[in-house]
Amino acid sequence: MFRVAHRFFRERSLAEEAAQEAFLKAFAQLKSFEGRGSMEGWLTRIATNTCLNILRATKRRPELVLADLSENENEWLEKKLSDGSMDQHHNIEDRVIAANLAERVLETLPAEDRLALTLIDGEDASVSEVSKVTGWSESKVKIRAFRARKKAREALEKLLNLKDRT
Amino acid sequence: MRDNHITDLLDNSPLRTLTEGELLTIRAHVETCIACRRSYEAAQISALLIEKRADEAAEKSLNVNPFFQTRVLAAWREQQTVNSLPAFRRLWNATGALVASMAATTAALAVLTFVAPSTEPAANQQTATLVPYSAEAVVLDQNQGDNQMTDDQVFSAIYADEDEGK
Repeated sequence: MFRVAHRFFRERSLAEEAAQEAFLKAFAQLKSFEGRGSMEGWLTRIATNTCLNILRATKRRPELVLADLSENENEWLEKKLSDGSMDQHHNIEDRVIAANLAERVLETLPAEDRLALTLIDGEDASVSEVSKVTGWSESKVKIRAFRARKKAREALEKLLNLKDRT
Repeated sequence: MRDNHITDLLDNSPLRTLTEGELLTIRAHVETCIACRRSYEAAQISALLIEKRADEAAEKSLNVNPFFQTRVLAAWREQQTVNSLPAFRRLWNATGALVASMAATTAALAVLTFVAPSTEPAANQQTATLVPYSAEAVVLDQNQGDNQMTDDQVFSAIYADEDEGK
């Protein structure tokens, strides 16, 4: 439950609140669990839907602009563009900056797109796994993931073009 | 030309799952297409950011707050207590403040309706009596003029009697 909540919310307090709400829902609906699937799957689904509902209610960032980026994030982007290497081996500080920046990009996406992108591209989940967790059809998952990738790429593209001009 | 661009290829699936053939196509295309080169850079950065964000989420979810369980159980007990109350009591708990404030407002309006009008005209009359031609008297006693007879009416009333006598 906590892991699911952290997929959606980076801040610990928000993740805890979401996990708590999911647990309370699970307790309340325990009688409806028929034991056909795994308990873990059932709980994951409750947690995912709870987090999605919370996320839907929060306001989305309209777009990513250069002024939103911190100095560290700007430097990180410049470094990535100049050395051209996208390798995964970086220090903790580097990861925190990247995660911050990722959060800013994700904040511009609708909740559903965000979930699809996080699960498929971030956690290597398959389309059918996401379909099971969310209850969506596989084609819906694919469409959501495609849209999310496109939006995230375009947001970053716009940002990089703006950076070039400055 | 649009069909030859590689943006759909970038958005269709996670970047790391692209086949060697697809990667070769992309690399060959970005050699000549500047717009797609920028798109490819943005897609690479986006993929990296999402992976970093997922790594961070996985690590954070391992460090569960030790008091989280206690917090959830307390919330569950509280919810159970609320649910065990009679329906009217629950309704009152939810809407009590609103109902009380509405009752207070109604009472205040009733007081203003029945008490205020009896005092106000007296004050006006006093002002008008003290200074018969004051600005207040003119403004407040606007209706008085309507009750007064015009000179023609007075004359016709006086001379009508005399005419009848003749």
